[in-house]
Amino acid sequence: MICIIALVVFGILGIFSAKYRTVAKEAFDCVFKRITLRKCTTGLDKRMKSQITGKFMRKHPGLGKVLYKHFEAISWIFTIVLILSLGYSAYSIGNLFIYGNCNGPIPDAFCVFDPFVSGGHVESCSMEGITGEITGVLEVHDHDPAIGFPDAKVTIIEAGCFLCPYTKEAEPVVKQLISHYGDQIHFVYKDFPLSSTHPGAQEAAEASHCAHEQGKYWEYHDLLFVDQNGADFDHLLNLAQQLDLDIEQFSECLESRKYKSKVDGDFTEAFSIGVYGTPTFFINDQIIVGPKTFNEFRQIIDSELFWSV
Amino acid sequence: MGLNVEKIREDFPVMKREIHGKPIIYFDNACMTMRPVQVIEKINEYYNEYPACGERSSHKLGKRVDEGVDQARESLKKFIGARHTKEVIFTKNTTEGINLVANTIDLNKGDVVLGTDREHNSNLLPWQKLASLAGTKHEIVDPNPDDTFSIENFEKKMSRDVKLVSIIHTSNVDGTTIPIKEVIKIAHDHKALVLVDAAQSIPHHDVNVRKLDADFLAFSGHKMLGPSGTGVLYGKEHLLKKMPPFMVGGGTVEDTTHTNATFDEPPDKFEAGLQNYAGIIGLGEAARYLMRIGKDNIQKHEIALNRRVTDGVGDLVDIIGPNEPEKRSGIFSFNYKKVDSHEISMMLDEMENICTRAGAHCVHSWFNAHNINGSCRASFYFYNTPEECDKFVDTLKKVIDVVK
Ligand SMILES: Cc1ncc(COP(=O)(O)O)c(C=O)c1O
Repeated sequence: MICIIALVVFGILGIFSAKYRTVAKEAFDCVFKRITLRKCTTGLDKRMKSQITGKFMRKHPGLGKVLYKHFEAISWIFTIVLILSLGYSAYSIGNLFIYGNCNGPIPDAFCVFDPFVSGGHVESCSMEGITGEITGVLEVHDHDPAIGFPDAKVTIIEAGCFLCPYTKEAEPVVKQLISHYGDQIHFVYKDFPLSSTHPGAQEAAEASHCAHEQGKYWEYHDLLFVDQNGADFDHLLNLAQQLDLDIEQFSECLESRKYKSKVDGDFTEAFSIGVYGTPTFFINDQIIVGPKTFNEFRQIIDSELFWSV
Repeated sequence: MGLNVEKIREDFPVMKREIHGKPIIYFDNACMTMRPVQVIEKINEYYNEYPACGERSSHKLGKRVDEGVDQARESLKKFIGARHTKEVIFTKNTTEGINLVANTIDLNKGDVVLGTDREHNSNLLPWQKLASLAGTKHEIVDPNPDDTFSIENFEKKMSRDVKLVSIIHTSNVDGTTIPIKEVIKIAHDHKALVLVDAAQSIPHHDVNVRKLDADFLAFSGHKMLGPSGTGVLYGKEHLLKKMPPFMVGGGTVEDTTHTNATFDEPPDKFEAGLQNYAGIIGLGEAARYLMRIGKDNIQKHEIALNRRVTDGVGDLVDIIGPNEPEKRSGIFSFNYKKVDSHEISMMLDEMENICTRAGAHCVHSWFNAHNINGSCRASFYFYNTPEECDKFVDTLKKVIDVVK
């Protein structure tokens, strides 16, 4: 069985260096013979067995002995482990082709605030090059849109941007958290519009507060994520119409930029403690950057629920 | 006078090497020996100072090559006790020497070539081939019940049809040496010629072709401190003269026309094309080195080492050949129960850099006849030490403890 391992290992090494190709060929020959229920005649299996045993004998004679006696069984175990890990590698390589990273649908990517973008830099929507450090926690203010029980043991504050695809990506998990934990948590949304990369993000945030004024914040919030292609005045108005908001009041609110200072305030506060992209979550004083799975959130939330008095 | 092994070892650069922080214990001398710096320097000298062709060019470099080759031939002549340098043909190994004879000696249908039951493939296949091409026969002398060479059986085999005895002098399987002088005498009494495979004897014992009255004798340079791919075929001058050339081409002829050729005298007749000059010159130096050390000293030293190992582990393993180390020269060939000899050999190598050889040692015919699956062979030379033997014994015991 050791030949299967040898075939894979030396096969891969053989791609890069000719010196391993003969061994790989031998291993192939050996595996082929074993599959067709014949004996491996190249002696590769015996060679590997004695060499590996010999290596162990140098340091631990006892271990060498065990290895020698149970070599076949041990190589079976390694073969299985190898096949599993190969499968996993193949899956990761597949991900690399499809998603551009090894872990599947962009779990760690998120939208980055780049203060230099106005200087002509291209801003990216990934973690690349960012080593920000967040040095505080956001505070909840009276008019912040929130769901859940204000005195809950766990407060989750999300700093998001309506035009950021990763904020959007986190939305289903947020919804799931809210329905799962109900009054055990207090969920608060704060604006961190990344207007330099996503023009219109500031206006969208202001518009959400105009909807809040008419009691339809969360509905408007959800609609904003549906189409992230832009947020000009007409689009924002159109969304308000879909929710049967008072259009006159809404457009007046938007045009007068009634909530500019509120949105600016959110942004400045977050920026001042080091928030550098969206979505960023604060679960009490624990921080999650970028969209994460429900389970990852749950682990933190559950331990917060358990430990806080 | 014993050997000053410490001092001798300083001549061998490879002995200063370490692998994984441990010195190398080289016990595969029956396959190839290590080379002293004197030989390496001779080779380098050729490449650095006069890397030109021999026997053809009259320029200074060419002359220097001729001098080097002549000197080497002279040394080899002395080394084997030949009458004349004409009797020393440079080859690339024992195998080529034997093939040369097999391809040029005058043997006809029905003629018998006699050998032992433990001939190296190099002294078996050429005769099998000749049998299938020329209708000769290759026959084998059965050993004594204790598996040693039987001079009685040999004599019994000496019929009128036996025209050539091509025989191994010292076996590379078990290290036993046959009474070659008697063998040659008996063969000559029966008007048969004798070709001695001296690959394993020349490096270790005094072999004098004149005293033995050998007709042909083949050996390899790389088993006696010489460069890889060098060897010698000795042949009595009057026999060589009668034989046609083996390979033909440049260097073998005095003159040619578009249809014909006049061949040189030996040894040139048998050395076709440009030669391995660096190797030949290095081989000359190796012969001189061994003559300085003295074969008697070498033999005594090897037997002492073999005794040490035999005393150390002889009881634990099945030794191939006689138990007495005196009868096995520098060879300790063994098996442990049914364990594959390769496994043991590789563990020795992995654990303590002990280089041994495993398998059938190119004598499959003997192993097949005995239904043995090869053996692990440690073969000593004069630069090996008692301490190395102790390490070998110690490590082999550990290996046995694992595989038992
Ligand atoms: C007894 C004997 N004959 C012939 C040979 C062949 O020597 P080479 O391979 O140098 O031609 C050997 C080498 O192992 C040998 O031990």
